[in-house]
Amino acid sequence: MEKEQEQIQAVSDSKAAVFDPKEVIVDIQHLSKSFGDNHVLIDMNITVHKGENVVVLGKSGSGKSVLIKCLVRLLDSDEGTIKVLGNEITTLKNNELNVVRKNIGFLFQSAALYDSMTVNENLAFPLRDQKKTLEEIDTLIQEGLESVGLPDAGLLMPSELSGGMRKRIGLARTMILKPAIMLYDEPTTGLDPITSKEISKLILEVQTKQQTSSIIITHDIECARITANRIIVIKDGKAAAEGTYDELIKSEDKWIRSFFE
Amino acid sequence: MSESKLATLPAKSPDSNVFIFSSGKFGEFFKEIGEITRFAGNFFKSMVIPPYEFKELMKQCYLIGNKSLSLVAITGFIMGLVLTIQTRPTLARFGAESWIPGMIAVSIIREIGPVITALICAGKVGSGIGAELASMKVTEQIDAMEVSGTNPFKYIVVTRILATTMMIPVLVIFADFVALIGGYLGVNILGDVGFRFYFTQVFNQLDYSDLLPACGKTILFGFSIGLVSCYKGYNANKGTEGVGLSANAAVVLSSLCIFIIDAVAVQLTSILLPK
Repeated sequence: MEKEQEQIQAVSDSKAAVFDPKEVIVDIQHLSKSFGDNHVLIDMNITVHKGENVVVLGKSGSGKSVLIKCLVRLLDSDEGTIKVLGNEITTLKNNELNVVRKNIGFLFQSAALYDSMTVNENLAFPLRDQKKTLEEIDTLIQEGLESVGLPDAGLLMPSELSGGMRKRIGLARTMILKPAIMLYDEPTTGLDPITSKEISKLILEVQTKQQTSSIIITHDIECARITANRIIVIKDGKAAAEGTYDELIKSEDKWIRSFFE
Repeated sequence: MSESKLATLPAKSPDSNVFIFSSGKFGEFFKEIGEITRFAGNFFKSMVIPPYEFKELMKQCYLIGNKSLSLVAITGFIMGLVLTIQTRPTLARFGAESWIPGMIAVSIIREIGPVITALICAGKVGSGIGAELASMKVTEQIDAMEVSGTNPFKYIVVTRILATTMMIPVLVIFADFVALIGGYLGVNILGDVGFRFYFTQVFNQLDYSDLLPACGKTILFGFSIGLVSCYKGYNANKGTEGVGLSANAAVVLSSLCIFIIDAVAVQLTSILLPK
């Protein structure tokens, strides 16, 4: 028990070590998004600082995934501003948007590996228009695979991978361009508790080693506990509560507390 | 429902229901035509703007061309053989058996070869493209490409449409050749015709007005198969159910396009290049 407490403390220390509250990386103001009559996000405000992991919690269908899809403009927002690394995402032209997107890593819920490509080809895909030699690309791929603990998976097809392996390869592919911002869409969904914990620790490693800022969408409270510097709880399209894990578990709001029970 | 309540309901004319139904279906039809036209416009725009995806284009040409070769060869061979066997009795009745090679050549090169091969490719290639793209769409692979800063339309759609446009004519030429070989064997089942004589007869009956329109329409067949299949796959929804629906719609709509293009091409050929 004591040992686990020490580990949690070490984790918290490492999170705090890289977090710089002065520099804002993502600034979302008054964001609204509706699908017909369904108002998914209403006047949402979120800021993410350099090196900070922000976890977004909320019930299914509360608009968590819509939020990060608006951030990379996979969905167009109805109202509000979204500044990523100082660029107003909502007004960028496509070619300008693609430049910003290269600084954003997006790990999809299903990992979204390209089924017709091997793991190596999947990892090489984001490097296609980078001016790198084949040797440099090979080195980056190998480093990526080793960083997620799968150094020998390069020649496998995505259909040969387990759920946890897919998530790891997805993470390696996302990290290969060393993005400044990481967006995780339910990174531990569908995984067993041990693999979930491993993925959560990998997320934390990414933060500490590469000083990335992250928005993590999850239902997994253990993942939130391990990775979050700050947690935002969404209810009815709005941020209902915000704080650290320790603050929110002591919340006076029964609905908020029920998330952590 | 009570009689009094029924009496208060406004009477609906059956004709008005038909009109609403028809206008809805027509509206959807024209909307779809408009969407496909816009999709085609995006294709032409993306095709000319660099960067060009040569490697992916070559890969798709290989997959579409090489992997359809055996199916097209078998179909072409049977096409030539059956056509010869079926037409021989009719021509023999008029003592016109010597016309068999020429008749086969004109039928196959002008019409049967291009149309049958295109329909086979609509089934094999079109359904494959429709299902693959729809699957990529519902499993967020297309979104993943977009987020990584790659233009998925250029990488996935442009390469596949170009590959079908280039490879279907090649497959048709190959199928025509194999069909003529099939015809040669068919002629020799009940007769004894030399290989050189047969092909001399074949080529004597053909001129540019047979070859050029056939080549032209196969290019259009290839383009329509690629365009329709990519459109259906790229705009798939409804989850995994959408994958099957897209593959099915890709085949049905491609086949329909092939017949429409063929009908228009035949009319234009008869006007512009009369025999």
